[in-house]
Amino acid sequence: MSDQKRIGVYICHCGGNISDYVDVEGVLRAVQDEPGVVVAKTAMFTCSDATQQEMVRDIREQNLTGLVVASCSPKLHLFTFREVARRAGLNPYQYTQVNIREQCSWAHTGDRAGATEKAIRLVRGGIARTNFTEPLEPITIDTVPKVLVVGAGIAGLRAATGLADLGLSVLLVEKSASAGGKVAGLGKMYPHEKTGREIIARLVDEVKRRENITLFTNAELVEKSGSIGNFRVKIRLGGKQREEIEENAGCIIVATGFDTYRPREGEYGYGIDGVLTLAEYKELLDRCGGGLVRNGKPVKDIVYIYCVGSRQQAGEKPNRYCSRYCCNAAVHASIQSSEASPGIHQFHLFRDMRTYGKFETLYGRARDQGAVFVRYSESEPPAVEKGADGKLKVTVKDLLTFGEQIEIPADVVVLVTGMVPARNEALVDVLKLPVGRDGFFNEIHPKLRPVETVVDGVFICGACQGPKNSAESVASALAAVTQSASILKKGYVELEPLIASVDPGLCELCDVCAGACPYSAIERDHYQGKEVARVNEAVCKGCGGCAPVCPRNAINLKGYTDAQMESMIDAMLKEIG
Amino acid sequence: MNYDVLVVGSGIGGMESALKLGDMGYKVLVVEKEPSVGGKMILLSKVFPTLDCASCISTPKMAATTHHPNIDVMIYSEVERIKRGRDGRFQVRVRKKPTFVNQALCTGCRQCEMTCNVAVPDQYNADMVARRAAYIAFPQAVPKKAVIEREGTSPCSFACPAGIKAHGYVALVRAGKYQEAFNLILETTPVIGSLGRACYAPCEGECTRGDLEGPLPIRKLKRFVADTYYREHAEPEHKPAGEVKDKKVAVVGSGPAGLTAAMHLARRGYRVKIFEAESRPGGMLRLAIPSYRLPKDVVDRDIKNVTALGVEIETGVRVEDPAGLKEQGFDAVFVATGTPGTRKLRVEGEDLDGVMTSLDFLRRVNLGEKISLEGKTVVVAGGGNVAVDSARVAVRLGARRVIVQYRRSRAEMPAHDWEIKGAEKEGVEFQYLSAPQKFIGENGKLTGIECIKMELGPPDAGGRRKPVAVKGSEYRLPADFVITAVGLAPATEQLAGRLELNQNGTISVNPETLQTSVPFVFAGGDVVTGPSMIVNAVAQGRRAAFFIDRYLRGEELEGTGYDYRMPAVDKQKVTGRQRSYRTLAPVPGREVTGVRAGDFTEIELPLTVEEARYSAGRCLDCGVCSECRQCVAACPAGAIDMTMRAEEVDVEASSVIVSTGFKLFDANLKPQYGYGKYKNVITGMQMDRLLAPTRPYNTVLRPHDGKVPDNIAFILCTGSRDCTVDNPLCSRVCCMYSVKQNQLIMGALPLADVTVYYIDIRAFSKGYEEFYQQASAMGANFIKGRVARIEEKEDGNLVLHYEDIDNGGKLSRAEHDLVVLSVGLLPNTGVFNLFDGDKLEADEFLYVKEVNEDVNPGQTSIDGVFVAGTASGAKDIPDSILHAGAAAAQAAAYVERIRMSK
Repeated sequence: MSDQKRIGVYICHCGGNISDYVDVEGVLRAVQDEPGVVVAKTAMFTCSDATQQEMVRDIREQNLTGLVVASCSPKLHLFTFREVARRAGLNPYQYTQVNIREQCSWAHTGDRAGATEKAIRLVRGGIARTNFTEPLEPITIDTVPKVLVVGAGIAGLRAATGLADLGLSVLLVEKSASAGGKVAGLGKMYPHEKTGREIIARLVDEVKRRENITLFTNAELVEKSGSIGNFRVKIRLGGKQREEIEENAGCIIVATGFDTYRPREGEYGYGIDGVLTLAEYKELLDRCGGGLVRNGKPVKDIVYIYCVGSRQQAGEKPNRYCSRYCCNAAVHASIQSSEASPGIHQFHLFRDMRTYGKFETLYGRARDQGAVFVRYSESEPPAVEKGADGKLKVTVKDLLTFGEQIEIPADVVVLVTGMVPARNEALVDVLKLPVGRDGFFNEIHPKLRPVETVVDGVFICGACQGPKNSAESVASALAAVTQSASILKKGYVELEPLIASVDPGLCELCDVCAGACPYSAIERDHYQGKEVARVNEAVCKGCGGCAPVCPRNAINLKGYTDAQMESMIDAMLKEIG
Repeated sequence: MNYDVLVVGSGIGGMESALKLGDMGYKVLVVEKEPSVGGKMILLSKVFPTLDCASCISTPKMAATTHHPNIDVMIYSEVERIKRGRDGRFQVRVRKKPTFVNQALCTGCRQCEMTCNVAVPDQYNADMVARRAAYIAFPQAVPKKAVIEREGTSPCSFACPAGIKAHGYVALVRAGKYQEAFNLILETTPVIGSLGRACYAPCEGECTRGDLEGPLPIRKLKRFVADTYYREHAEPEHKPAGEVKDKKVAVVGSGPAGLTAAMHLARRGYRVKIFEAESRPGGMLRLAIPSYRLPKDVVDRDIKNVTALGVEIETGVRVEDPAGLKEQGFDAVFVATGTPGTRKLRVEGEDLDGVMTSLDFLRRVNLGEKISLEGKTVVVAGGGNVAVDSARVAVRLGARRVIVQYRRSRAEMPAHDWEIKGAEKEGVEFQYLSAPQKFIGENGKLTGIECIKMELGPPDAGGRRKPVAVKGSEYRLPADFVITAVGLAPATEQLAGRLELNQNGTISVNPETLQTSVPFVFAGGDVVTGPSMIVNAVAQGRRAAFFIDRYLRGEELEGTGYDYRMPAVDKQKVTGRQRSYRTLAPVPGREVTGVRAGDFTEIELPLTVEEARYSAGRCLDCGVCSECRQCVAACPAGAIDMTMRAEEVDVEASSVIVSTGFKLFDANLKPQYGYGKYKNVITGMQMDRLLAPTRPYNTVLRPHDGKVPDNIAFILCTGSRDCTVDNPLCSRVCCMYSVKQNQLIMGALPLADVTVYYIDIRAFSKGYEEFYQQASAMGANFIKGRVARIEEKEDGNLVLHYEDIDNGGKLSRAEHDLVVLSVGLLPNTGVFNLFDGDKLEADEFLYVKEVNEDVNPGQTSIDGVFVAGTASGAKDIPDSILHAGAAAAQAAAYVERIRMSK
């Protein structure tokens, strides 16, 4: 340490989230005399505006050259406090966040002394690291005002027009032969009673009218390189000549939708004639003008079985999630059926009716039309079999009438099937998309960053993220539009400078680092007549995979240098006193 | 100011829209009606299904919104009107509500809050605990600046002609801050002890408690404050003003008007001298008011409040020509000589020995002249307070019989009712509808009165029924002593020609500035108004000092806004605001009884400390802020500004996003659940506060007795899916917030049982079903069945009657020690009044209508106006955020379109 740092340390109570389990004042006492510390304080909420302003004041008045906040996960507030540093005129990379909430108070609720000791060690480590920080500048990359949208269902189409309206160019890539996705095949939809076909036709028309949208059908994204602001993408066009084109895009929006759950053979009688999925039944309903007819016979009795393929608790890889749209869709189908064939009998076998929000009124209307709702228990699901009279027979224990076992004859049994993740292994591979436990793509955080993925510049929207109805998919598509535009309208992005760098003097190009890099960021360069490794700044993620494998110790990770790591280890192991 | 987009409301939806637009480079104005941005979300504990702290999610967005270079935020402001201008842009009028704290100076140190003496229910803690009238909304508030809640001037303070802050000193007494209370009154007048005894207390007449059990004894509280202070401070603590001006002011007359003016002028640094014609200062306080009502040592002590400031009082000097004082070096003169003249009855024998005017009588007694009425019959002619005072003094001078003779009936008698009753108790007789016609004497000495009976004729010009003599009803009343008390008058004969006078002898002044016809001479008090009350004279003294100061500084006199009080608060609003106040009976007044001759002991007994604190505690804090001014003194930044008023600001915006959020269902509308009646029935929002990191009690306690609950019930769909309360809709969030609370309770109170009564569990969004299953696995008990009603047991526990659907549908009962009503969301219909011209359409449930939800979620009936979040229908936080993103995208597209078209 050539010049002694002047460090401010702020330890957060987090209301009580931390201080209920960690002796915050004790931590303060244990760290306030650490080397370099000139200001040490506790605060009720370090993230509150008032404490932020206090930090700004302290940094300015005490000429601080380092900042440490011991609070929550850096996932939550790293940027908040970097911004505080920046506002105060301190280089943001001279800030260190220490996580004493997720790592201390929440992890050790039963051990106050232990949690406190751990917090002290972590904060000391953070202070030690800060003593070795250097001012760093973000890597600035000019952005391409163009977005690649993958999937031309309702979400992708609307994202495309939304982007175009903000002056951004769009490459809209659709795997199938025509745009429109699932909605294109739908008849009347709720609650507005427009048909899916109309809606899609209008949107496709809107897309075609915009010069800055290029729609590729029969096309797939096959390669991606580069980084946020300037991706290089390769699109394979189908058809006869199987041509590939390369394009640049600043951001990528994934709107690849969902698949409908396909029941197993025999699941609730699936496979028996007359047992249909909801989607199949909707097609039937669509085809029938007045009077419901199937196979030439009028349909008089319909039984709906809910939660088929959703809310599963048992079985191999159960779909534990609720598919959200199906209660509403089934109730809407019931209303349409009654309108098509007044006087038909409809029985809905449900677990919980989830006609949320304003859809509750659809549920009320279906009941008013005479549909009967029967609640079944997950542990005793209804059984569907062929009846003697050529009809289907559904047996169910009705929880709403003191558990009575009832038999319902049916012409059609509708399995109210849910949504499952679309199969997109190739795309997941190309984009490194994070897949959640439920198989849908995962956002970083449902509230803080609801359309962003862990891959910077790659966004998700619509039902590929989880079950949604069409209006909800459109809302998320437009949210992805604002997210893209907020990056691309600025014209540049700033990337984290916390990346690897090769000391070319030491490097002997053994290529071990290149093998360790998951992002293909190691390139070759010439240095004083020899060939050496070089890190592509725009591609490196700063994961640190290369640094430890280098036999010459020629690679350092900015922000996590060997000197920093060693000092942290020493500080953490020091006696508590 | 010109903006691209106006965002109305800064809840999570508004912040998200604003941030996204700001990031895209659009100029945004956010208008928020509360003192902090953040909406309802910041008040929550944790949020489902990730169990993040609501604060942790909200505070970065709140800080980012307020610090964003492209976003301006107006807090504590309301959009009044949005109208489309000719150019297609929206003309927006915003009303900035006064915070009474200069936001640029406030550092958020909370000193004002800690010194504030008014507690009101804390809306940010779901009314479970109190906050102060001066407050910072909540610990994570952005900006962290104080505001002072003022509904208006409290009726008591507004009623005071002198502008004494009655509510202020009552609040200070309630807090035990007696010295501060004294100093607050001293800001207005020095005659505190006197007013505490002899004021007619118009404040009490306006007291809102007066419409309930009876008004607060505000006057006696003032006496309590003065007595307490004087007991501890025989001499004033305050000193002459630090900076003395070279200008001199003469005050003619040392009554309440003169003393008050002198004090204010001396405080401003003027050299003040009072000239008093009598041998002792104090004016009517000393001469007219009997000492059993106002002991003269109290008057002396009150006067010391003035002389301590360096004011000189010269007694025994009659100033014949006020304007002539200029030659003596005075730069301004205040004439406050009162009404030392008395009117004559104009009947024969008025100059007999044994006939005396009331003022003369009282003055002699008060100045210590020995007058004995031992064994005599005394008749007092007149019906005003002075007449009754004279009668009661006569009783104390040993009179055998005292008769008050009044020509109208009791109903018309101008004396205060309590004075009449007091006199009656002391044995004073009243002869109504009777008037003296002639005083009869022997050897120049009075022996009796020839009287005549009267009857009431038609009303005169003033509306009072005129007494008419009844012919032939003459009778004779033997009397040894007669006191005539038929009115007081100014003695201004010598001023004629020097100052402009009115016909009745009062001095003519500009009523606003009290300036007379001679510019450097001002006049006030009874000599201007005619005989009046002490507090009116105080009012005039204070007003005169204000304008004399302006005059001497060479400033414009008229139209300067002397009175900066806010309008009086509507009493009905006050009683409406109090959801449940306790009945608090007034302390009965007590007087010394059994008057003996020569005994001038003060008759009214003072309030004890306990009575004073209790009485002050009855105050309803009508204006919310009491104007006790403690925060003004406490604020280290000097940021408190009580003269601040609402301000209207006009801005322009190309597009508008309304994100005005929702209202919570009022649980009072489900009486069968006993909310508001049963103390251990709370709402979901209250439970969220109990679980929040900034929770009021630091743990989950039931409000009834502070017991840690161990068997908690949740009733879902309270106010949702319920046509009996006119809300058929599902509120989308209650199932999940209840499930979240289940999990948090099981974490906070591991031994507690949690039962959820539900219709359907609507765990429909990403990760929700799993979250619900997790609560179930943790031990939350889910019972399908609607609760019909609740009964309260003596120990505060609650018995729920419900239908147990999953077990054969039998009617069951269950006991719980805390019940949480999972209240739903309702539309916030105020938003529809914002637009002028274009109509913002509502859907059939009175949410903002989305006209094209399938492809343009958030688009409203007005081109260029979008809706974000729950304003268009109940939504959870993730859905609100996505919806806000959609609104932002379309608002941005609209702005682009407008730009292109130009």
